[in-house]
Amino acid sequence: MELNVKDLSVSLGGTPIVNGISLQVREKKFVGLLGPNGCGKSTLLKSIYKVIKPDAGQAHLSDTDLLKSSPKAVARKMGVVGQFNDLSFDFTVREMVAMGRTPHKKLLDSDNAEDSRIVDEAVRKVGLEPYASRSYLTLSGGEKQRVILARSLAQQPQFLVLDEPTNHLDVKYQLQILNIVRSLDIGVLAALHDLSLAAKYCDYLYLIKKGRVVAHGVPKAVLTRERIAEVFEVDCEIYEIPVTGGLGIAYLSAHERDAAGQT
Amino acid sequence: MSNLQAQAMRPGFDRALVTTRYGFWFVQLILAVIAIVSIGIAVSIGQVHIPLGDSFRILIYKLSGIEIGDIPSLLQGQGANIIWNIRFPRVLLALLIGAGLSLCGSIMQAAVQNPLADPYILGVSSGATLGATFAILIGFGSIGFLSQMGVAFGAFVGAFGAAMIVMVLAGLGGKMSSVKLVLSGMVVNALCTAFANFIIYVANNTDGIRTVTFWTMGSLAAAKWDKLPLVAIVMGLAMLFFLLQPRILNAMLMGDEAAVTLGVNLSAYRRLYLLLTAIITGVLVASCGMIGFVGLIIPHLIRGLVGSDHRRFLPTAVWIGGIFLVWTDLLARVLIPKVELPIGIVTALIGGPLFMYMLIKKGYNFGGK
Repeated sequence: MELNVKDLSVSLGGTPIVNGISLQVREKKFVGLLGPNGCGKSTLLKSIYKVIKPDAGQAHLSDTDLLKSSPKAVARKMGVVGQFNDLSFDFTVREMVAMGRTPHKKLLDSDNAEDSRIVDEAVRKVGLEPYASRSYLTLSGGEKQRVILARSLAQQPQFLVLDEPTNHLDVKYQLQILNIVRSLDIGVLAALHDLSLAAKYCDYLYLIKKGRVVAHGVPKAVLTRERIAEVFEVDCEIYEIPVTGGLGIAYLSAHERDAAGQT
Repeated sequence: MSNLQAQAMRPGFDRALVTTRYGFWFVQLILAVIAIVSIGIAVSIGQVHIPLGDSFRILIYKLSGIEIGDIPSLLQGQGANIIWNIRFPRVLLALLIGAGLSLCGSIMQAAVQNPLADPYILGVSSGATLGATFAILIGFGSIGFLSQMGVAFGAFVGAFGAAMIVMVLAGLGGKMSSVKLVLSGMVVNALCTAFANFIIYVANNTDGIRTVTFWTMGSLAAAKWDKLPLVAIVMGLAMLFFLLQPRILNAMLMGDEAAVTLGVNLSAYRRLYLLLTAIITGVLVASCGMIGFVGLIIPHLIRGLVGSDHRRFLPTAVWIGGIFLVWTDLLARVLIPKVELPIGIVTALIGGPLFMYMLIKKGYNFGGK
């Protein structure tokens, strides 16, 4: 499944938030959206997963027109892990995950053995088997996020949209969630806030500022000192991580920069 | 085991009985039996006490024609008439109304994603009160059939009209959010109450005011056979419809955004559910006045016992709601000898403390955080 977004523009309450963004996620690639708070990356994702109606532009997932298809048709192909996971009602973990089967079911269908197997598999993949009959509201933030991930896995998606999936989580759970997603081997579009994690996990990055794409490319090409200064308004040094050869980012404060004797 | 662990374990333990398929049907069967026994007991007890065995024999004979023992002599006594023409329709109406209020409460809670919603939240209660007050104190004059239908018609129109205004208000400016629904409900409630009070104030009609007061406290005393079919048909269709929607109702509880990502077009379903609930509640209110607490307390109680999954929750809540109202109506009839209490008083007297108990009991947190 390939995601193609073309000239998408979204405004909320008359204010333009996303200004003609085009992007592409190729077959089985993990693509990251980076940008400061309020740059429009969440809004962009929301219009892709049909919560917000864009003013103009197109979004296709392979042959499916995301903007014109029914939510149900889209939900059969695309799973979403968002930031909206507060519930007012209590469910067990397994019940939550089983809701991922909703788009595959007709009005009178009941859950069959196959659904049950898919749900068990999803629970197992996120490592929550011991919690299956626990109540969702008693779980920690990281566990809740894994339940939501499992729910979208139960949709058997061929594409995954993640909106800051690791927000508020401990490092351990951030890595765990991204490792699970990486291991699925499907196309992923993820808004991320941690630049180092984005560099580590993403195949390709889009850097967004004020609703526009400022730069895109592989992490090493996009995450430069100058760009990070321009987009995020912080000073940093980029280095190669000795053990992995990966990309490391060290943020510098003004006096550290002075002490280093450079400007 | 720590307190937190104990809480976490509880739902799994409590739900064990109903989580399996056979367990679910077993529970439904038991509830059906309890409902039948409750009906039998409720028709036997009253100002005139009729032995339980006789009541069942009369009901069975009337319903199926099967004679158990000496039916002709039973039918000649006054018991048969009381049971068949007065108490049985009333008990059936109680069962239907209780089931309906519980159903509507459950649907409203899902539709506005707030576990504190009840069937009357969309301004239905005060709209109905306004309509009934208008019918009682001013009347529809000589407009033919309207004057005959009177209070019931006024209540239905008031309830339905108020709910429509709330939905339109909440839908203004794009998305109909649950917060907007609840707030619009409050505004319309305040307006309708003001109008109703205004009518009461200027009417200066002591008898009429007394009638209005009794109406707002709810009563099943007017139950007759010819009133039942409408309520029964509406409730039958409503239950059939909503019992087939558990997936969508479940997705609703996940919240607006999550529901869309699960493929449920929430705003369309929400509109439909609110519209249907407004019609059903309007019919219920028109046939028995205002009966509070049932639509709030029963769904809460059942969620605490079987969880929020509508596949198990909804049928169970419907049964218990019906059974609960059969017993409260019985209490309303017999609590004080020779006096019939408005049923709203009894539901509040039972429902209030029950609610307090649930607040105090730590295992259930009303879905709060």
